[in-house]
Amino acid sequence: MTPTEPPSPSPGGAGSAELDGSTFERLFRECARDVHGYAIALLGDRVGAEDVTALAFERLYGARKRLDRTRGTPRAWLFSIARNAALDELRRRRRQGVDRLEPERVDLESPHSGRPLAAGQTRQADPAEAIEQAERRATVHAALLELPLREREVVLLKFHGQLTNVELARVLGISESNAGTRVHRALTRLRETCAELARKEVA
Amino acid sequence: MKIVPFPQSEGPPDEQTLAEIEAALRGESVGASAEGWRELRADVRTLAPAMSDGVALTLYESIERRAESDRASWSRRRLTYARGVLARMRGAFAAGRRHPALAAGACALIAIVALIIVVGNGPGSSKSGSSSASSSAHQGQPHSLNTHVEAPASSSGEAGSSVPASPSGELQEFSAKQGPSRAKEYMHQGVGGLQATPESSSTEAQAAAAGGEPLSSRVQQRAASLTLAPKPEAVQSVADQVAQLTVRAGGFVQSSQVHRQRGVGASAELRLSLPSARLSAALASLGRLAPTREESQSLQDITDEYGAARRKLADAVAERQALLRALARASTQSQIESLHARIALAAGAVTRARTAFGAISRRGSNSTVEVTVLGDAHAGSDRSTLSSGLHDALDVLKALAVVLLIALAVLVPLALVLALVALAWRASRRRLRERALS
Repeated sequence: MTPTEPPSPSPGGAGSAELDGSTFERLFRECARDVHGYAIALLGDRVGAEDVTALAFERLYGARKRLDRTRGTPRAWLFSIARNAALDELRRRRRQGVDRLEPERVDLESPHSGRPLAAGQTRQADPAEAIEQAERRATVHAALLELPLREREVVLLKFHGQLTNVELARVLGISESNAGTRVHRALTRLRETCAELARKEVA
Repeated sequence: MKIVPFPQSEGPPDEQTLAEIEAALRGESVGASAEGWRELRADVRTLAPAMSDGVALTLYESIERRAESDRASWSRRRLTYARGVLARMRGAFAAGRRHPALAAGACALIAIVALIIVVGNGPGSSKSGSSSASSSAHQGQPHSLNTHVEAPASSSGEAGSSVPASPSGELQEFSAKQGPSRAKEYMHQGVGGLQATPESSSTEAQAAAAGGEPLSSRVQQRAASLTLAPKPEAVQSVADQVAQLTVRAGGFVQSSQVHRQRGVGASAELRLSLPSARLSAALASLGRLAPTREESQSLQDITDEYGAARRKLADAVAERQALLRALARASTQSQIESLHARIALAAGAVTRARTAFGAISRRGSNSTVEVTVLGDAHAGSDRSTLSSGLHDALDVLKALAVVLLIALAVLVPLALVLALVALAWRASRRRLRERALS
């Protein structure tokens, strides 16, 4: 697993086990960084993202006895709560006249600067490959910023939250087919925008 | 610069495309397309700065602290409990949706219980009929009324109204001479009864004085019948007790008949005359002598007849007094003889009017009660039978169902309103949040 590759959610872990203290701790370990990543990508600043992450876990903890497992996994619940908190934060900022901040970026030249290295991992040795990767990520970043906020949010939920379309539908409060359509549309547009930007850069 | 080889696809998303994307992101498929999706995800995830371990630890500690304070808060615990109950209710509702037959069965059961209660307490119920008869009689509105109460007897012991009764059964008079307060006092005694009954012994002058005045209250004639079912060997004893009780209540036994036949059983029939003012209390006492199988009461308004008799008596008395005054002024023998003859005729008319008035007064002041005592081999043992227990259990269930229905009648509309408010609030919040993405 690469550093940016998400840990696959344990199927019987956070999803099906009772959300007691130990399960909650495991869920925190598995999902905290993803929630934080989603929030920081949506809000654009680290402080707001930390607030949203803390709020999401607190609310999940408070609602742990009310979790209806037939209506979604704890991960989906968590991202649902995180999304609500992030949108509330966006609304609050809008009311206060604070425009959305430019997403905070990692140093793209350093492929692992954003995330700590896992045990046994080594940094890329090939500088050309590293530069190519950094350019590609810069393109993706630019393409992501060009997406409408609604579509960008879908991409972030899909990639940071690793939600299935069913879970995504639960989080967004829409039908599964609608969620699939939104995901496909957002990813297609992101991909096309990336290609367009890359072509412009080459030209 | 190398163009990033993202997978290409055209047209609207179909199930297969979506499934391919899902499989690629789960790492279940291989190939350039799948690799492209995974690479895109990795790139997007890399763009967000990672949360440092220190921040993660701080976050976790703050969440733990908050959770601890939540645990310490009693009100929060209650709230959480209430939420848990709501969640369980939601689960039950969801189960009902998943098992419509079960939900339909539960609804049918509730409907049956409600139907039993409604039918059991309907207007045809004998007990409710009794109470309505009682209240109507107090108001003195109906001219005649019949009530019929099946066993078990439920006569509530009425407060002993102390209407003084003469040994002959005649009640004292409550005319204008004794004042309105005294008359009013008796008007409120018991159901029906005589409320304004001149007594024949209190001279015709009183009747004459009151003759022209309209009656201020109603005069009602009451009757009742009662069937008692003691054990066959106790029939005679119960009949004796009925007679004794009648005398104690100020009444008398008009007739009595006791049958006893070997192999068939025993029975007794008694016809009682009781003061109307004490009728309810007397019936209650009679009902305690043995299990009551049947009880009925009737009431008839005789105010018009009473008034007519009173006026007739007053007229006759006035005529005789006028003749007596004329006699005192008479000077010739022929006048005196003529007046004597007319006074004799007038005296006869007064006597007849007094008799008629006394009879109708007695009808109002006394009530006729027919008591039938039937020997019943099963009497007295029914309280310990299974049916009695089941009956009691049914009564308890009915009471519970009534309480439940009342509670539901209050809570269901309230819950519906709250649910609507909650739904509206949630929809409004969702819309506002979605607007943040616009």
